[in-house]
Amino acid sequence: MDTGTILYLLSLATMTGLYAILTLGLNLQWGFAGMFNAGIAGFFAIGAYATSILTTPPAEDRFGGFDLPIPLGLAAGVLLSAVLGYAIARICLRLKSDYLAIATIGIAEILRLTLRNEAWMTGGNRGIAGIPRPFEDMEQPWGELCFLLLVAGIVVVLYVAIERAWHSPWGRVMRAIRENEEAAEAAGKDVVAFRAHVFSLGAAVMGLAGGLMAHYLKFIGPDATEPILTTFLAWVMLIAGGSGNNRGAVLGAGVIWVIWSGTELLTQRLPPDWQTRSSYIRVFLIGLLLQIVLQRFSHGLLPEKPPRPPESDSG
Amino acid sequence: MSAPLLEASKLVGGYGGMDILNGVDIAVGSSEIVVIVGPNGAGKSTAMKAIVGLIPLKSGHVAFAGEDITGAAPEHLTARGIAYVPQERNVFRTLTVEENLAMGAYLRRDDIGPVTARIYELFPALKDKRRQRAGELSGGQRQMVAIGRALMIEPRLLLLDEPTVGLSPKVIEEIFERIQAINGAGVGILMVEQNARAALTIAHRGYVLATGRNRFADSAEALLANRDVAEAFLGGAGYGADA
Amino acid sequence: MPDWSTVLDFVGLYLIPGLVTGSIYALGAIGVSLLFGILRFAHFAHGDLMTLGAYLALSVVTGFGWPALAAVPLAAAGAAIIAVGLDRAFYRPFRQRPTIISVIASFGVMLMIRSAVQLIWGVQSLEYKSGIERPLLFFDQLRIQERHIWIVGVTGLLVLALHLLLTRSRIGRAMRAVSDEPDLARVTGISTERVIQVTWLIGGALAATSGIFIGIDSHIDSYMGWNLLLPVFAAAILGGIGQPIGAAAGGLALGLIEELSTYPWIGDNPLVSPDYKTGLAFAIMVALLIWRPTGLLRGRQF
Repeated sequence: MDTGTILYLLSLATMTGLYAILTLGLNLQWGFAGMFNAGIAGFFAIGAYATSILTTPPAEDRFGGFDLPIPLGLAAGVLLSAVLGYAIARICLRLKSDYLAIATIGIAEILRLTLRNEAWMTGGNRGIAGIPRPFEDMEQPWGELCFLLLVAGIVVVLYVAIERAWHSPWGRVMRAIRENEEAAEAAGKDVVAFRAHVFSLGAAVMGLAGGLMAHYLKFIGPDATEPILTTFLAWVMLIAGGSGNNRGAVLGAGVIWVIWSGTELLTQRLPPDWQTRSSYIRVFLIGLLLQIVLQRFSHGLLPEKPPRPPESDSG
Repeated sequence: MSAPLLEASKLVGGYGGMDILNGVDIAVGSSEIVVIVGPNGAGKSTAMKAIVGLIPLKSGHVAFAGEDITGAAPEHLTARGIAYVPQERNVFRTLTVEENLAMGAYLRRDDIGPVTARIYELFPALKDKRRQRAGELSGGQRQMVAIGRALMIEPRLLLLDEPTVGLSPKVIEEIFERIQAINGAGVGILMVEQNARAALTIAHRGYVLATGRNRFADSAEALLANRDVAEAFLGGAGYGADA
Repeated sequence: MPDWSTVLDFVGLYLIPGLVTGSIYALGAIGVSLLFGILRFAHFAHGDLMTLGAYLALSVVTGFGWPALAAVPLAAAGAAIIAVGLDRAFYRPFRQRPTIISVIASFGVMLMIRSAVQLIWGVQSLEYKSGIERPLLFFDQLRIQERHIWIVGVTGLLVLALHLLLTRSRIGRAMRAVSDEPDLARVTGISTERVIQVTWLIGGALAATSGIFIGIDSHIDSYMGWNLLLPVFAAAILGGIGQPIGAAAGGLALGLIEELSTYPWIGDNPLVSPDYKTGLAFAIMVALLIWRPTGLLRGRQF
């Protein structure tokens, strides 16, 4: 295999891993806590920008450039996302899922506007470049391989940790809340706190994905995270993987990313005047794929509860 | 009694796979008031919803005027002359009284002036409030709108699911009186009621359901006189869910 | 006492643009509110319906040479029919399912419409006609663009027409009935599918009109509808769920707030930086969702 192909496959796998992390975070919020987050891109962006600002060398027209080590940057992004996630969850928790979707998109958009406008901190539209990448000093493709292993390792750790948590006493409470919220509340569980914690954890994981992506791409900008696409792809991945479970999250990430990337490869073979159009075709096809998956497999999306008879004739 | 207007036999079914009804028989003659009573959880409302087609039936038959209507959708029943008043959410809250009545007559293409006038005669209180939103009315008046809406198709059979729930005794009396008047005009009435005793007083016959089955079926007077029935099943709202 | 020219400046530079933006929001918000009320889900693809309408009109303009305003009926009709088709293909399968699935589907439809638009018409920013228009002059000092008068005027007429439809026509009352109590409406014999179709026709047509107005006012590009989606949602929520006339009022209010917020009320600088002007609607909406989801006009709680 020539270097080009190897590098391509490495990048394919790495991106799959990064999206797997993102989707695992989403599954925490949706599969565990039943909360519909349409502002995924926001948490992603926070993670990305936090680490970028902290780990890049000083730049003259921009705040930041602390040149801190990468783990610190990532940690900061994770923490910030967790805090923001917790705040949003506590405020928005009682909202019906449609409202929560709108609220989270609104918050994500406000965030994006801020990121674009506060150029003194974020570099505005130009974004932040020159973000350090782990292992970049090593010879390619070994450096890339090491990064891939790092990402894969994180995926595995996360997966195991989440699965463990799901089967732990804490996880049992979460499942009880998901099945029957009123009963759980009556049993004395602070439903709101539990949910907010889970949402926050999910946000933290998304922040991690964002931070890692920033280091991988070595660049971040208000639209480089392609907000709608990020949110949308994560959801498609979760649904395609047969959401609600972690294996599905990882699987879905893999399948969808391969399709996404594969179609890019195909369209690169097209004549030039078709090339720009190809990205639109790809988005269209992914949208269509979502519809097909939804219509065929949506029953796995939610635990279908039997309709509750009205109280007066409860039998 | 002539051939029954409505005949439901051996109804088995319930919500989402659970069988609440375990073989229920109900029949209503064309000029009768028939009441379904029983404790909470007995399946009273479920039986009515099954007849109307809002709940799937696992087995059993429903016939109206000799025609099989088992499993027919509610809108088809309306077209055939069966009117149904659900217990909850039985008026259009942001529509005026007048508009609610007009919605009741949605399937009619003729002039609804006369029938509307008759509804106002039946429920004079509504005439004054006809431009008011139904959601702003008192409980009793809302119930009148709900029943009036159903009567706009001039049905042969009226199904009422707990028409007096949550109303004061005076209003309950009024409603029952109106129901008798409706019946007097030739409409068969099937009624699920919690206020069992009061309902039986105006009824011709009654069914007592328990755990999804017929426990007693007799004329209203006989039921009222029956000691066992009176002790165990009559006398008001919810004691001891049976399920 | 502010002098006359300051007042006229205010009217011309802030008030009128506020009304224009408000009209655009209003038309989009009505559709969202109707769909919220009757189908009970947040239609995320609504902004891109606006985009679609604008581009359909572009084709009419470039194809027949008509002015953009004349293209409205045709483009709106096209968008209306497409909206019904979208419903049949992508939303109808989920009528009995939890509404969140329809929301997810609408996400997908949003991207499909946008990419289709990009595919067919490209991504550059376009205009219906080139050249500068001279504004009309009132009172020797007040300059108002003719197109602004059209936008606000047509919007007013459409809102009035909708109000009449909802209160005086059989199908309009049926729409309100289904919005109030869909199960009861079924029992009374109202065909909910028919009502839903009519709702899509109206929503699609109004969204298209809104998009065309954006195009007439400034320019069109493939992200225009998306950029308006959140203000439109905010307006619908502001006016109360399921109350389309309230949504129109909400849209107008939001448009005015947005434009007036950049006026230097205090001192010389705009109260809200123009960069964040669009963020204002989002912020209001998020605040509403959290503290008063029934809207200012006492709409329905979801």
